[in-house]
Amino acid sequence: MSYWGAQVIISLFGAIPYIGESLELWVRGDYYISGITVSRFFALHVVALPLVLIALVFLHLVALHEVGAGNPEGVDIEEYLDDDGVPLDSVPFFPYKVLNALVGIGVFMTVFAIIMFFFPEGGGYFIEMANFEEANPLVTPEHIAPVWYYSPYYAMLRAVPDKLGGLIVPDKLGGLIVMGSAVAILFVVPWLDRSKVASIRYKGIYSKIALAFFGISFLTLGYLGTVGVTEVRKTMSVICTVIYFAFFLLMPFYTKYEKTKEVPKRL
Amino acid sequence: MSIKNNFKKGLNIRNLIIFSTLIFCINNISAAEGGPCKDYGKCDEFKYSLNDMASLQRGASTFLNYCYGCHSLQYSRWGRVATDLQIPEELFFENLVFDKSIKPGDLMTGSMSKEKSAQWFGVAPPDLTLVSRVRGDDWIYSYLRAYYEDSSKQYGVNNLVYPGTAMPNVLVALQGNQKLVCKDIPVIANNGGEKRDELGKTITKEKCGYLKVEESSGELTKDEFDELIYDLTNFLVYVGEPAKATRERMGWYVIFYFLIFTALSALLYREYHKDYH
Repeated sequence: MSYWGAQVIISLFGAIPYIGESLELWVRGDYYISGITVSRFFALHVVALPLVLIALVFLHLVALHEVGAGNPEGVDIEEYLDDDGVPLDSVPFFPYKVLNALVGIGVFMTVFAIIMFFFPEGGGYFIEMANFEEANPLVTPEHIAPVWYYSPYYAMLRAVPDKLGGLIVPDKLGGLIVMGSAVAILFVVPWLDRSKVASIRYKGIYSKIALAFFGISFLTLGYLGTVGVTEVRKTMSVICTVIYFAFFLLMPFYTKYEKTKEVPKRL
Repeated sequence: MSIKNNFKKGLNIRNLIIFSTLIFCINNISAAEGGPCKDYGKCDEFKYSLNDMASLQRGASTFLNYCYGCHSLQYSRWGRVATDLQIPEELFFENLVFDKSIKPGDLMTGSMSKEKSAQWFGVAPPDLTLVSRVRGDDWIYSYLRAYYEDSSKQYGVNNLVYPGTAMPNVLVALQGNQKLVCKDIPVIANNGGEKRDELGKTITKEKCGYLKVEESSGELTKDEFDELIYDLTNFLVYVGEPAKATRERMGWYVIFYFLIFTALSALLYREYHKDYH
């Protein structure tokens, strides 16, 4: 399945106009998925991505040090400072925040160990059963299911029809744009959210309804990505994709005009 | 405080929604795809016991005597199997290894050439090292017991779990002739009980597709044969992941450690939390 998963994901590059095909060839390093592709993907995932992760962790700590942490109440603690200019409602990172994180780490590691020692395959969702079989380019599987964390986006990719109201979109390009913007839209949320309050605890009913719709449609997309396509499922994934984007695109309106609760001045 | 309570309640309801949606989805997945055991219906459940050395040893013996002629275990080594199954190497090599030139460090590459066997059978018998992980143990356990006589096929047999399988029923001498038979099944009434006529006799309907072994046509009884297949499947589960038993044993210690770790850090956190609340 990884063979076919790689086939699908790499062929997405081919959907980019003009440079697509050569880009695809460049990424793959060959005319089809081969040992070359496998070794460069191994290097990418085992060397390059961990380095990126380390860099991001470093940036995260720098930001935490410079700007400080927020709080779940969404209260701005900079308003009330003591004589030294330190916010009255803040606590030092060590030991308070570290201890808090330690509990989280403990819970995570327990769950992680349970999965690793007792359910490493996760019923074929964490390690796909087909990965234990030799890849065979001559036998295409009935439907190609992506790994579970990709499946909502995969469902969006498949939800986009080839023809949009007479406008012919080049092969797969529409799906690629939708899938890409589904992730990219997360980066502009700080500008989309026009609410006076930061925390969901003080937001109004519209935000909560929108969030519920968003959650349900995201989970539904996740399910639809793992199963084969039928007419009903296709319609469902179109509806869910629209809800997914509506949650973000309508955010400036429903956050601005809803009635919010009063945020306390101090924590 | 009231805010906190409200928040917690909200969380619970949300969790409930998420969970029920997930369960709904999982149910749908299994319902929509149709079972892997095809005409057999639901696969028979298999519960491996990798600490049962006797079972694994019997399974290895069955495999090497009946399966290894065609199927390799190319990712597994002779010596490792002997060590893991606690079979003394001399005994193992004397009784289960038929090619005397084989050394303990050799891979179990099989004895039949892939090209020739592809000509003979139409398809080369697959390597079985990882079969328990591709198909699952339930599948193997059901498959090996689901052969039936079918004269329209090349080898005179067909399989309910894998219709049109290319493998002949190698274990037929042990199992005996298994046939598809029809049975009179009580008709179930709307209230869930058996339907009866005016005289109180159960109304039955003929239903076909049941497996039945011709009596005393095989060397083993049905229970003995099921046990043989159990041991064989158990062995294939072991070969699919030799460290599985070790991993599950270690897992308890690791989880125990993390539970204590979490409990201690939670207590410590609570103590320090008092400083600012």
